[in-house]
Amino acid sequence: MLSNFLSNYRSVAGLIFVVLAVALVELFEVRASVYPSLLPFFEWLKYSSWIGYLGITFGSVYATVQAVHLISMAIIGGTVLVTDLRLLGVLLKDIPSETITKGTHQCFKYSLSVAIATGIFCAAGVADKVYYMPVFWIKMLALLVGSCFMFFIKQPLLNSRSHSEIDPWILRILAVASITIWFTVAATGRWIGFS
Amino acid sequence: MNNSKWDDKTIAAASSSVIILGALLYYWVGEVQSTVELLELAYGSFKFFNNPMIF
Repeated sequence: MLSNFLSNYRSVAGLIFVVLAVALVELFEVRASVYPSLLPFFEWLKYSSWIGYLGITFGSVYATVQAVHLISMAIIGGTVLVTDLRLLGVLLKDIPSETITKGTHQCFKYSLSVAIATGIFCAAGVADKVYYMPVFWIKMLALLVGSCFMFFIKQPLLNSRSHSEIDPWILRILAVASITIWFTVAATGRWIGFS
Repeated sequence: MNNSKWDDKTIAAASSSVIILGALLYYWVGEVQSTVELLELAYGSFKFFNNPMIF
């Protein structure tokens, strides 16, 4: 019975596993016990790694990489908004949503890679500051959840069949959840910048 | 419930969307609430209109 469920409902089983894992992490206060052990890594990232050295020493390099980071985040925001507003039926109604979903996802993947690479560089320059900021950890969590949601939940469903065969309310809630999570990633990112 | 519509991917998408939306709504409402409390603490009261902070 269990093997039957796992073979027929792999995504649901994965989701249940993740929710249970998060609940156990919170229940046994794993986060609180792991947090102090991360400080040496953040200190090394700023003061001993070459990316930290570059960021601290050369302001122009830091500014350039940060500009690339912001542009890649803007592209992510653009692809997410175009895809999700199309799924909500707000814009580009004359273009099939399948075409938009496939086209923007390629762009999203490359932009996310660039955003993560440049984001590590930007965080390295201020690693000892962001370590103590709760909003930084919220952003990392939102980024992780948003990426997993995109690659393991949203795209597999949207690529599995024609969108007309999917319940419109599922598409709507999927789009709203996607917009909200990437809005949170962007907003917390700017919050880090202004703190 | 139609099995062809409510398959594995659809259930996972619907339930994860609800979980994510609920968690994010909880987070942002909490942030607004704490901001309002902070403003009340700083200025005595918080009003959207006739706000003493606007000169």
